[in-house]
Amino acid sequence: MLARPATAAEPAVQAGADLPGQIRFNEHIRPIFTAHCTACHGGVKQAGDLSFVYRDKVLPPDGWVVEPGAPDESVLIERITSDDPDTIMPPPDHGAPLSDHDIALMTKWIEQGARWVEHWAYEAPVAPQVPDVGATQWPRQPLDRFVLKRLQEEGIRPAPDAPPQRWLRRVHLDLVGLPPAPAQVEAFLADVQQRGEAAYVAAVEDLLDSPHFGERWASPWLDQIRYADSKGLGADGRRNIWKYRDWVISALNRDMPYDQFTIKQIAGDLLPNASIEDHVATAVHRLSQSNEEGGTDDEEFRVAAVLDRVSTTWQAWQGVTFGCVQCHSHPYGPFEHDEFYRFAAFFNNTADSDLNEEYPVVQVPLDRKDDEQASQLDREIGELKHGIWQQEYALLSDAQAWTPLTDLEATSSNATQLRVERDGAHEEFFTEGTVSRNTDITLRAPLPVAAATDSTSDDLQRLTAIRVTIEPHDGEQAMADSEWGFSLSHVTASLLVPGQDEPQALDIARLVIDEPEPFFDPQESLNPKSNRGFAAYSRIHYPRQAALILKQPVEVAEGTRLRVVLKHRVYLLAAFSLISRRGHLAVSDDPRFTELLSDESLRQQRERLAQRQTERSAIPSTAVPVLRERPDHLARPMHVFERGLFLTKGPEVTPGVPASLPPLPDDLPANRLALAHWMVSPQNPLTARVAVNRFWAQLFGIGIVATQEDFGSSGEPPSHPELLDYLALRFQNHFGWSVKRLLRELVLSSTYRQSSKVRPELQERDAQNRMLARGPRHRLPAEVIRDQALAVAGLLSRKPYGPPVHPPIPSGVWRPFVASDKWNTPERGEENRYRRSIYTYTKRSIPYPMFAAFDAPSREFFAPRRLRSNTPLQALMTLNDATFVECAVNLARRMHQSGDTLEAQLTYGFQLVTSRSPRDTELALLLELCADTAAAAEPDTAAEPDTAAERDTAAEPDAAADDEPPAMTAEEQGLVRAAGVLLNLDEFLTK
Amino acid sequence: MKRRTLLDEARRMQLQRTTRRHFLQGCTTGLGALWMATHQAQASHSVTPHHAADNPLSPLAPPLPAKAKRVIYLHMIGAPSQLELFDYKPDLQRLDGKDCPQEFLEGKRFAFIQGVPKMLGPQYPFQQYGDSGAWVSDRLPHFSEVVDDVCFLKTVQTDQFNHGPAQLMVHTGQARMGYPSIGSWVTWGLGTENSDLPGFMVLLSGGRQPRVGKALWSAGMLPSVYQGVQCRTAGDPILNIGNPEGVTRGQRRSMLDVLNRLNQQSHEDFGDPETMTRIAQYEMAFRMQTAVPEAMDISKEPAHIHEMYGAQPGKESFANNCLLARRLAQQGVRYIQLFDWGWDSHGAAKNEALNEGFKSKCEQIDKPMTALLKDLKQNGLLDDTLVVWSGEFGRTPMRENRGGTEMRFVGRDHNPGAFTLWMAGGGVKAGTSFGETDPIGYEAAENPVHLRDFHATVLRLLGFDHNRLSVPFQGLNQKLTGVLPAKVIEEVIA
Repeated sequence: MLARPATAAEPAVQAGADLPGQIRFNEHIRPIFTAHCTACHGGVKQAGDLSFVYRDKVLPPDGWVVEPGAPDESVLIERITSDDPDTIMPPPDHGAPLSDHDIALMTKWIEQGARWVEHWAYEAPVAPQVPDVGATQWPRQPLDRFVLKRLQEEGIRPAPDAPPQRWLRRVHLDLVGLPPAPAQVEAFLADVQQRGEAAYVAAVEDLLDSPHFGERWASPWLDQIRYADSKGLGADGRRNIWKYRDWVISALNRDMPYDQFTIKQIAGDLLPNASIEDHVATAVHRLSQSNEEGGTDDEEFRVAAVLDRVSTTWQAWQGVTFGCVQCHSHPYGPFEHDEFYRFAAFFNNTADSDLNEEYPVVQVPLDRKDDEQASQLDREIGELKHGIWQQEYALLSDAQAWTPLTDLEATSSNATQLRVERDGAHEEFFTEGTVSRNTDITLRAPLPVAAATDSTSDDLQRLTAIRVTIEPHDGEQAMADSEWGFSLSHVTASLLVPGQDEPQALDIARLVIDEPEPFFDPQESLNPKSNRGFAAYSRIHYPRQAALILKQPVEVAEGTRLRVVLKHRVYLLAAFSLISRRGHLAVSDDPRFTELLSDESLRQQRERLAQRQTERSAIPSTAVPVLRERPDHLARPMHVFERGLFLTKGPEVTPGVPASLPPLPDDLPANRLALAHWMVSPQNPLTARVAVNRFWAQLFGIGIVATQEDFGSSGEPPSHPELLDYLALRFQNHFGWSVKRLLRELVLSSTYRQSSKVRPELQERDAQNRMLARGPRHRLPAEVIRDQALAVAGLLSRKPYGPPVHPPIPSGVWRPFVASDKWNTPERGEENRYRRSIYTYTKRSIPYPMFAAFDAPSREFFAPRRLRSNTPLQALMTLNDATFVECAVNLARRMHQSGDTLEAQLTYGFQLVTSRSPRDTELALLLELCADTAAAAEPDTAAEPDTAAERDTAAEPDAAADDEPPAMTAEEQGLVRAAGVLLNLDEFLTK
Repeated sequence: MKRRTLLDEARRMQLQRTTRRHFLQGCTTGLGALWMATHQAQASHSVTPHHAADNPLSPLAPPLPAKAKRVIYLHMIGAPSQLELFDYKPDLQRLDGKDCPQEFLEGKRFAFIQGVPKMLGPQYPFQQYGDSGAWVSDRLPHFSEVVDDVCFLKTVQTDQFNHGPAQLMVHTGQARMGYPSIGSWVTWGLGTENSDLPGFMVLLSGGRQPRVGKALWSAGMLPSVYQGVQCRTAGDPILNIGNPEGVTRGQRRSMLDVLNRLNQQSHEDFGDPETMTRIAQYEMAFRMQTAVPEAMDISKEPAHIHEMYGAQPGKESFANNCLLARRLAQQGVRYIQLFDWGWDSHGAAKNEALNEGFKSKCEQIDKPMTALLKDLKQNGLLDDTLVVWSGEFGRTPMRENRGGTEMRFVGRDHNPGAFTLWMAGGGVKAGTSFGETDPIGYEAAENPVHLRDFHATVLRLLGFDHNRLSVPFQGLNQKLTGVLPAKVIEEVIA
């Protein structure tokens, strides 16, 4: 038995005086491990094969450092209390020894049985008891009791309710991102007088029903999932994906339950009877950056996109930083290295790659009214295509139908070198070294024609079809590390008959290939004018096959040779030629091929297909990139990447979720759909908590878990753990994942209704207002600041949805890499100049200056939350930017028209921007400003020249000249200055 | 006067908050600081700069002794050929026109080279200059006069062979968008000395913009206040720095006076410390409105200085930007980033071919960058200003043969294996060269310098341990030098 040194034991006992009665692992013990131990004994580094991240490395039977119930026998205690510098942990050069208090906690934890509890966020929430807060009128909702309980413990009284008009402005800005109009304020105040509480409820109901609700709440979601209208790297060209943004707005407006919202985005394409909308939802994963720069490795950036989808999915839905598991096991979370790749396997088999064309796409009707009809047509077209393909493919893949060719000769039309090798029953060609662009490969081989005397079963009498097989150069390696693919721009076949000078051209009626929904129509390979056709686009993992079906069987004479010419005309990114690098031929005399052409049922199906396709193409649509699975027989395998490097593949893995979380549903195949159901299952401990925390943070400025992006053990613990669990369960169960019902309860709570006045005595204790002893007050998000300015100026367009718009942008900012990418600003008065900010074109490399200045992320990666800065560049923006100048002028006009006296006009303006009437002192200041302006407008007191403004006008005539209406009277000028002040009020820029 | 009193009050309040160590307000310095503070356990040995509560750019002393106080970075977008400028390879001349040996092609990925390309000898004659005997080609006659002030790194390596990711590697240490640039790290770490000017300014020569745009001067996961501010030599020098037409400075002043007093009322109503910060920011904006145009106005420089740089006021040019860089350095701007363009010498078009457009590109930079070094020196600024010149990767010793055929013009493909970067001033060892490439200038033969090592060295010159200047994000202590080991190149530090 090991005896603890008395010197160490002594203080531990003393420190025990203020120990909690029951030691809780997550609260008391895990933080000690994370702070002092896991750097060496964690997920990445497991010195001495010991890790304080995993229970089985610490506790018996496998662990050896802790003996539950027996601190004296626990190596852990021995090591942390040792006075021998060679034995003590942490070692002296790694950090200070544990405090006596920590040692005492650790000792007591072991005494009490060393109960190991997983990190709170990985355990499903348990319904907490709603706290008893005594007799008080303050709580309006159960959630208020959790808040009040905490305040009572701290000895703090909650703040009084904010005046009704302040609450109204707050709730307008929070729910729809627009301020209430003065008339709405007035009506509300009257309603409160009359109906009291019912007036508040009615106001909230109205806002939740507003079509602007979705426009306000889409922004935070689009931050999470890095929405942009451009591709990212390379030329950062336009990406046509705004239909997804509209889908988010519409889903929020319809109050699509959050579980459905989740399922559709993760796996909408795999839902039975998926509609076009369901497909559009998966575009969320096509928001990853792609690289269209010349000479870039398509596979490298495809893989980067897949890994980004994994990280983004974890971040947005699970609030866990999963990205680090890409390179090694999580340093302090219970996630192992290979689990990242098991998770990545869910996403690795989609058909997209890093291509300019953005395939696969779905044609989405421009008019949403056509969605249903188009969905039906698409389903029917899909079924017909698959039905036809299955019959055709059954024949192509029937090995019995084919006779492989030998004695192959292969020649190339240019510098590309070819050789031929025997492989089993056939001979195949290979290219050697690098290939040249636009290569034609000509293949010649004798046909195995039966001589009259020695017929064998392999010989054929006539020819009905030719099979072309194109393979990766290195078949084994290519499954893991795909090669550049091929595109058969044109294929011809002919017979070289002994005694005839001219080759006898074969009439090919149809190509049948091994893929039901290729990006390009394989029949294009028969069209000499088109460069597209049968292809492995853009990568090849497996042998690929096509059958060229002859229009009619052709009788073959003895000694006849077959000649097939494969033309390649496609190269990508100015660098990579899509050329067949290895392949072989086979032939068939099977009459079933010819029958495929004449079969009545097939003929009818093809006809119906063509008909449906014609109907479908009559619906005006726009192509949106989406997810689609590759067919099973062409599935990409997933491997662990050693140290996160995609070229260093480790063992192959199958799709799966981390073992430390609940298992996948067992009644579904392990694909994205199963994953989606797993995320919203009642057992998933994270999804609902992360979601309610995000909604909470939007309203209160900071989450119950402040690190919204990190619910793991390195994140901050929740300020109100029971409140978080209460809300998560209520959201999930009672509200049926309804976001609107959740928000309704939050904004009607007493917690939210409090006055936001800072109490100096609390500022010292709780500057962040984590205890919620006052209402929220912070600078508004970029979009809301702009929309609000447009709204109070009477300029805002309320038109919903549609392609991105291009409001005024300071000249010189829009200088895209590709000059043809234009920013065409609508003229004054045109609606698209004044649309809500959510519709502004979002280019990653050129963020809209106003948004960037006010901390909107540029959407390269998920941005879990915005930091709120307070800078001089913001002041310059709201004082001088063309949009705000235009707003000031229009606000002045609006004020001018609102009343007869300057006082009335200024009062109205003040009400517009603050939702309250000005005090006399405030009005006096504005009046003074107007008077000063009028005085300055007199010719003899004309102000000093302003160099900055002059230079400005000279250099940028279009920016400045049309931003100011023609000559204003002194009175109007005064109002414009006053309007400028109003648009810059702290109270205007702040919730 | 009233305004005075109000501002005094604002300052007093801020001072009070600073002394009370109230750095946890809900803004840049607040939420940012809170978020860093919450991660301190993980970031225990990282250095978190503590700026004044009201000014996230307040000047700070670096944690380690350092000579360099500011940086001027000259980036030639497109990647100039080291083999035509600084890395003299007589052996390559001997191989000119011969097929490239297979050993150089195996295991390599190229952007455009196909099949077996031909070797391409240096296209211009080289000579040694100065006491240091540095080799420079005849394309840079002016620059050859100042080589004794310069330290060449001949073996710089990167992981990326495409422009977009490689440019991001140079400025952020990562190949994807979304990470802080060197300038952001530095202004975060050191703040800036002149609060009337942005601390991190970006100047473009005009022409094509860098393809990843603002991502090259992004603040990444650092607060947005540390991102580079792009300045223009034509139009508003900074977006919206000029008042709207018809608004005079006097009128702006009287507007701000009213605004400040109304905002003061807000502060009385709500007691929100952010309101006082906002008042201070509006005042700073007002000062910037005169300070920035003044700093950016090169027309006030004497004629001989214009002549020295080859500057022409009012135009967008590298020459103007070099002169501007000196003016901004003089006024205490912390990080000045210049981008020139048109250096992608593939030989696919006349304007970028080594035997055509490259010549005029060299002429456009030779005089101004030389003048910058001389001018900094004569103003006593070179000692504490680090000047860096680089592209984003090197170019191949083979001639590019796009599509497998000989091209009309002469050019070279991308080569991430070795390129030349030079530094001057700011505590680097002048008149030296570090690293040797192989006889054809393709790979580092001795002393390879990965961009990570270069980043570590720059931070060290400014007084930072690159391992400690870090910020926790996504569960990792993010650093300019990333997760792989990086080392300071002590040999180039004076």
